[in-house]
Formats: sequence, structure tokens, C-alpha cells
Amino acid sequence: MENQQKIHVLYLDDEAHNLNSFRAYFRRKYDIITTLSPAEAEEILEKQDIHIILADQRMPGITGVEFFEKIRQLYPDPMRILITGYTDINAAIDAINKGEVFRFIGKPWDHDHVENTIGQAYEIYRTRADLRLRNLELQKAYEELDKFVYSASHDLRAPLMSVLGLVNLALMDEDVASQNQYLELIRLSVKKLDTFIINIIDYYKNARGTVKVEEIHFGPLIEEIRGTIAYLPEYQRLNVETRIGQTAPFRSDLMKLRLLFNNLITNALKFQDRGKDLSYLRIFIDIDAQQARIRFEDNGIGIEPENLDKIFSMFYTVGAQNSGSGIGLYIVNEAVKKLGGSINVSSIPGEGSIFELVIPTVNHEVHEV
Amino acid sequence: MKSKYNFLLIDDSEFDLFVYSSIIKKNHLAESLHMFRSAKEALIYLREEKDSLPPTVVLLDLQMSGMNGFEFMEHFSLLPDPLKKKIRLFMLSSTIDQSDIDRVDADPYILELLSKPLEIPPLLKAIEKHGRDML
Repeated sequence: MENQQKIHVLYLDDEAHNLNSFRAYFRRKYDIITTLSPAEAEEILEKQDIHIILADQRMPGITGVEFFEKIRQLYPDPMRILITGYTDINAAIDAINKGEVFRFIGKPWDHDHVENTIGQAYEIYRTRADLRLRNLELQKAYEELDKFVYSASHDLRAPLMSVLGLVNLALMDEDVASQNQYLELIRLSVKKLDTFIINIIDYYKNARGTVKVEEIHFGPLIEEIRGTIAYLPEYQRLNVETRIGQTAPFRSDLMKLRLLFNNLITNALKFQDRGKDLSYLRIFIDIDAQQARIRFEDNGIGIEPENLDKIFSMFYTVGAQNSGSGIGLYIVNEAVKKLGGSINVSSIPGEGSIFELVIPTVNHEVHEV
Repeated sequence: MKSKYNFLLIDDSEFDLFVYSSIIKKNHLAESLHMFRSAKEALIYLREEKDSLPPTVVLLDLQMSGMNGFEFMEHFSLLPDPLKKKIRLFMLSSTIDQSDIDRVDADPYILELLSKPLEIPPLLKAIEKHGRDML
């Protein structure tokens, strides 16, 4: 990917024949932009992604080193290489020591030397870019870990403390009927905790796991998930309809899709609108040779407009009624990303929500780390 | 010696509200007891009651969906002083997070952090310490 990309070189020199011979010699190897004017060079830097800048030291009005000093603040990323004749070598060395330039190339330059220098500069450019990317990823991982630890202290402890409170209460009560009520509540609390733990495990399986591609049969997948929630009392008043249109086989990662369907179906279950006579969830799936378009339509409580953009973030929960652990839709979003797809949500509070997903079919084996 | 109080419980868990209200009632501590499943509703109630609110012990959960305990406190601090003076507010939470604890300490209106599950001796001790006579 990055390795195959051509190196983008910007060359600034007041002598056109230098620019021309550079361009003639290296045009196949690099993406080259040349200019006679320092002002234009700045414009190019603003508009384009430049990896390496070459600048001649002796130019009217501004020296190469001065030019680099000027642009360094604004464009710190491109590697700066100075081209200079023998008389200016001291200035070049000084500039290197100050960190203004990476190397200098003496005039007249020989091609191999230039190519080597540009190669080395690009190596450093890429290493730095990779490092920045890794740092961003690390930062994201740290932030998630922080959130996780914070949430764990709440979502793992809160149900336990509830159980403990109930046990204290039960100890004060002699009445057997109340005892049974307490036991039932303890059971619910333990279930909730268990669900949270399973969700966390699912999330980490999804985040770290490899993608395993196989042919997907959506009908049986949905039936399987419905089977696992059929015992829940809320399920009895939810009417699930499924319509699948398929013109080509669909291949993807079954585990991630199961995670995704499980969370979205469970959400429709959890966020039913009790004010309506009947709750429904309609699942429409359209599969062609490229992708599956999946649409979940429910008539549940819906999502307030100001919450729509937050629902996919970690540990965000909406509404006091039957609140979740705040990880379900985060898992869905991460799974969709891993599958190379997209997810969109629209909702009207009091009317219902629509989740629309597009998941591409995978036509080759994917091995992802 | 007075030993019954007016309680206002704020917790998004119906479950916890049930448990804590039961415990308070079983110990015959409640003169009155109001429960709110959202911080917003509790705020509306406080604003409406204002002058008619009796001296009250508020037990406030921290981690709530919608408005959480700290967000509630931002609104609480803006309530009229005579109303605030009638209220003894304790945070009731299972948090063990240091930044939460620091934030509770720094808040002028949260008298103490009580850990969940609610137990009567620490509650009584806290009420005693922070002006039982005024309630």
C-alpha cells in the first residue's frame, strides 16, 4: 500500500535547467512538482501532500535555508533537503545541526547520491507517519481502556451491590413471600451482570479476533438468535418479521454478523414502546453479488435527535427505562467497521427507529490481524 | 430526640430504589419518602416544592443514564439558597473511582459519599454529623 505509493517530491530552484534535468531523470521514479518561485512552493505545500522538499540554497530574495525556516512551523512533516554549491557548505552544515534540513546535496549532483538521499529521507518520513498513526491508535486504545476500567467499576459492581442490598433487606425480613420476591430480584440482577460480562467478552473477541469468511444464510441465522431470546417475557409481545431477497451467495464473517444481529434484535426487544398494542421488528435483507443491505425497522420508543450521534459510543446509555450497559451499539459499530460496511440510524421518538446497514460480500479469503 | 426524616431518593435503577426504600421503611426512618428514577424529574420536583419542601435528606445516585449525579449537582447549585439550606444531600454510589471521589469531596453541596449498598448505621452517622438538628 504505502510502500507502492510514489514519493511526492517538490523541487524549488531559481534555475529552470536544474528543475528540467531533475524532472527528466527522475520523472518515472517520483511524483515531481517543480517551481521557480518560493511563494508558489508554499501554495503547493498547502494544497498537496508532499513527502520530500528539495530547495536550492542560492536563490534571489531568499536562501534555501531561510525558505525551510519559514515553512517548517506550518509544514513540519515533509523532509527537507538542501541543494548547495561548495561555497555554501558551511551554511548547509549549520542548517543540518540546527535541524532545519535533513541532508544537503552538493552541486553538481550525481543521480545515485540524490536517489539515495531521497530514499533515506522518505524512509524517515514514512516511519514518522507510521509512528503518528500508531500513537493515535494507542491513544484510542488507552482511552477505551480508561472507559472500560471506569465502566467496569460501575457496571460490574453495581449489580453486585444491588444483590448485597437485597441480601441485607432479606435478612431483616422474616416473611417467606417477601424472601421469594427478593430471590427473584437477585436472579434478575445476576442475569444483568452476566449479560454485561458476555457483552464485554464479545467485544474483545470482535476487536482482537481474526475475520473468518464463510457463506452466510441469513434466515437460519435470525432463527437461531430468536431461539436464544424466545424465553424472555418481553419477547412474547414483539412481532418479528423477516423478508430476505437474494440473487447471489453472500460471504462474510458469521461470528461478527451474529454479534450484530443479536445486538440489534435484542435492542428492539429492550426498547419496545409499552404504550403500543403490539411491538414489531421488521428485518429486510437484500443481497446481490456485491453486498447485503440490511434494514431493521421497529416501532419502539425511538431515539431523541440529540442522542443519535452518541449511541454508537462506548458506554453511552439512553433513557432510564430498561437501560442497557451502553456497549451493545458500540459493538455493532465496531463489527460493521471490521466487516468493511456502514451503518446508519434514523429515528423518531415515540414512533420507532430504523437501522440501515450495508455489508460487502467477501469474495476472497481474508486474514486480518 | 427526633429520629424520622423526609427522604428523597434519586436512582435510575428501579431495583435499587425498591431495595433502599424498603430498608429505610423497615428501619422506621421515614417520615416521608419520595423516589425519582431520573435526576431531571427530581429537579422539577424540588423547584416546584420550593417553599413547601420540608427539611429533606437526599440520596443521589452517581451513574445514571440521561442526567448523571454530577450533572444534577450543577443544576442543584443554582437552586435558591433557602431551598438548598433545607436539604442534606449525600451521594450514594458503588463507585471506587478516585476521580469520582475527588469530585464528591470538591462539591460544596455533597456532604458525603455513601457506598452502595445503603446501610443504616453509616447513613444515620452521616445525618447526625451534618446537622440532624436542622432536619
